Amino acid sequence: MNEQLTESKSIYLQISEMIETDILREILLEEEQVPSTNELAKQYTINPATAAKGINLLVDEGILYKKRGIGMFVAAGAREKILSKRRRAFVETYLDRLLEEAGRLGITKEELIEMIREKAL
Amino acid sequence: MKLICSDLVKTYGHKNAVDHVSLTLEQGKIYGLIGRNGAGKTTLLSMLTAQNPVTSGTVTLDGEPVWENRRALDHLCFSRELNVSQESGVGSMKVKEYLRLASYYYPDWDGELARRLVELFELPVKKKLMKLSKGMLSMVTIVVALASKAAFTILDEPVAGLDVVMREKFYKLLLEEYAATGRTFVISTHIIEEAADVLEEVIIMHQGKILTVANTQELVDSARYVSGRAEDVDAAVEGLTVCHSETMGRSKGATVFLKPGEQIRPGYDVTVQPINLQKVFVAMCGEEAH
Repeated sequence: MNEQLTESKSIYLQISEMIETDILREILLEEEQVPSTNELAKQYTINPATAAKGINLLVDEGILYKKRGIGMFVAAGAREKILSKRRRAFVETYLDRLLEEAGRLGITKEELIEMIREKAL
Repeated sequence: MKLICSDLVKTYGHKNAVDHVSLTLEQGKIYGLIGRNGAGKTTLLSMLTAQNPVTSGTVTLDGEPVWENRRALDHLCFSRELNVSQESGVGSMKVKEYLRLASYYYPDWDGELARRLVELFELPVKKKLMKLSKGMLSMVTIVVALASKAAFTILDEPVAGLDVVMREKFYKLLLEEYAATGRTFVISTHIIEEAADVLEEVIIMHQGKILTVANTQELVDSARYVSGRAEDVDAAVEGLTVCHSETMGRSKGATVFLKPGEQIRPGYDVTVQPINLQKVFVAMCGEEAH
């Protein structure tokens, strides 16, 4: 939870993505408590209701869960859930845009595959 | 023409409000002076324009000392917040009287420009200064600064008290005047992001000293915020200039400045983000900055 907020996207989405990234990087471990709404609000100088919206998004997806009277915790299996969600989103956020720009530039499918192969090696 | 100060010191009591500052201001640039409250900005600016005697050090315009030197002072304008708290002082003056006084003081005074700006700002010329709002007082200082036509014009907190529409109008007017004349402007402000794109050079002052004088775009372009697992961040920024960092549990965020040719070391799972001038400033001068 150390990234900087930007203006390019809703704050609550950035908050939920930051928590997800921290879980992926194992900065936050499963069954561990996550920063409270008020702590997030203070750290990023945002309204607590906005921070709560970001947290609740993750609760709805079963990535965080609430322990009554204690706070929010990372659910068991959260990391796997985020991984598969991001893999699905990968096609939409990265591949579709990649293909669109490649099409615009007249790069053929074969050329594109060759580029990826070269870059990844 | 160059305005140069070297090893400038101003001592109040036991404290150096300005602490061995050397600075060269060149003709034809817009400079921004940013610093926290009490950093010494106003003291520095007032010494540059001979409004305040120096404790030690020199201020020269084209090699000539500016202190009590009419020839040098003709080219300098220091426009600062007006103190209108007392009936006896400048506060009892009407706007038009104050502007007339300024027209006597500045040899290159542009009366036509002053009239245009008064109209644009809808300033009530027959009102006493002490009856004006904070925003209107700021507008009066802006009129004086722009109409002075001084080669080196220094505006101390010109946008304090102005609403966002007026602030934008001010920067547009400033750029218009700059484009037409190539005068040098030095502007101090706390509203950093709004000024960032207008400033060619930024001077960052902290506790009486100058931390940095840099091209604004180059400074911002060289700054990155790196975050992730503490050990990954440490590895990714190893050998780079880290200006500020904070650790929270297993995570860490670090503000770094990349020198030409340098890059964040690849191969680590960290987030690298650009940051704006305001955040660069906070990293350099904030509570936890070292």
